[in-house]
Amino acid sequence: MFPAWNPAQPEITDLIVQHDPHTLQRLLVRKQDLLEAYSRFHNRKALRAILALPENAGYLDAREIDVLLLTVHWEMQRLAEEFHHGHRVWELLRPVVASIRQAGIRETLRIIDVGCGIGYTMRWLAANIPLADHNMEFIGIDLNATLIAEANRLASAEGLPCQFLQGDAFSPEHSGHVLLSTGVIHHFRGNALLEFLCQHDQPSTQAFLHFDFQPWFLAPFGSFFFHYLRMRTAVARHDGVLSTSRAHDARTLLEAARTSAPGFAAGIYGAKIWSTPIPRVFHTLVGLRHKLVPELRRHLGRYATRLGELQ
Amino acid sequence: MTLLTLYLLALLDGLLCGLRTSMGRCPLIRKHSYYTRALFRGIAGAQVVSVLALAALLLTGGFSLRPVALRVDLESAAGRMLWVFLPYACLVLFNLALRLVPSTDIRSATSVLMLGPLTAIRPLVIIVGVLYGISASNLLKTRFLGIFILALMLSLEFALNRRAARAQAIQIRRLV
Repeated sequence: MFPAWNPAQPEITDLIVQHDPHTLQRLLVRKQDLLEAYSRFHNRKALRAILALPENAGYLDAREIDVLLLTVHWEMQRLAEEFHHGHRVWELLRPVVASIRQAGIRETLRIIDVGCGIGYTMRWLAANIPLADHNMEFIGIDLNATLIAEANRLASAEGLPCQFLQGDAFSPEHSGHVLLSTGVIHHFRGNALLEFLCQHDQPSTQAFLHFDFQPWFLAPFGSFFFHYLRMRTAVARHDGVLSTSRAHDARTLLEAARTSAPGFAAGIYGAKIWSTPIPRVFHTLVGLRHKLVPELRRHLGRYATRLGELQ
Repeated sequence: MTLLTLYLLALLDGLLCGLRTSMGRCPLIRKHSYYTRALFRGIAGAQVVSVLALAALLLTGGFSLRPVALRVDLESAAGRMLWVFLPYACLVLFNLALRLVPSTDIRSATSVLMLGPLTAIRPLVIIVGVLYGISASNLLKTRFLGIFILALMLSLEFALNRRAARAQAIQIRRLV
């Protein structure tokens, strides 16, 4: 295996911006700490990318890091667009919402995008789904203030009915009926994954949909070519490829979900392309309150075959 | 007819270069007008390349002692180039047409499996096409013209990319 693909190491974007978990204040990040972190993995690509980051007296220059983050996130939106991610989310969210309605919940449904970044998924839904027909509210939450400011700017520029908040998506004031995320869940590993899923079990939450890369032996190679052709920054290329090696397999996700969030029936959606053994790039960890399971299968219609066992 | 076909292929290439260099640089959801502007920039760039190529062609023809032989040689070289450029363009257009199928899987697959690799080999296709075209030419002037046009074609995406990167950097720095 190549050192840059070692799943034990974090992604560069996980480290270059750090926040105090309680106050959400941005913390100074010492460049040398990052270099030492990747030296342990002999990851020369990461080391080169970090060395190129602007610094002030040994600490990463926060403004320049924000410029880099926005550049990376603008590029990442291109990937979501190429994979038609908005359509994929709505394909699954629509039957989930219909199932929740069938169960008698009439209030406005809060759809929360956990770790929303610049909010592509929520903005796409807000731009393409008639909210009035479905009585939904789209909210994106992220710890990073710069990304949230950008998400709000973009939503406002296009007059989209969605909002973005900096904070903890699992705090009581942000509780949602449906929690979803894209490319986030692999950032939680070991006990952190269990804790992440455990927090889903809130009274109002009816379902969760976590979209992430599906690991298989060709995924890092495909991701390598894709990112080197499409992405322009070293950090985006590095993290894009590493994230496919770090992605959790279906078994890990299901075991974690069934252990940590027993109030939900958990399953994997969209693992294979049509009825072939070819894996999709993304698969989805689906969690649903047990009483909603039969309704979901019914509302999925012809897509029901894409849903694995929910238990 | 051969020159017209090459001109149209250059316009198509410019149009796609304009599109590619603009992708990932506008985070709005509705961006038809952004992409339309990018397409026109690409076409304008290809137009500049074509005008420069035509000027070089006319100058070379004007100063040639054997204009008829040069014309025959150039047409023969251009005809050979089409043997490389046309199948490549057809493959690209076929994959773009496939994206009209309303299936997220097919659209994603064309992007990942075909259009990405086809973009990656574009410089190689241009080099191979031009070299194959001038390989059998009898006149040195034809070869020089071929190399000049090759340099112009390769610099088109580079120039468009530089412009798009600069515009993006300015925009992001205003935000932060």
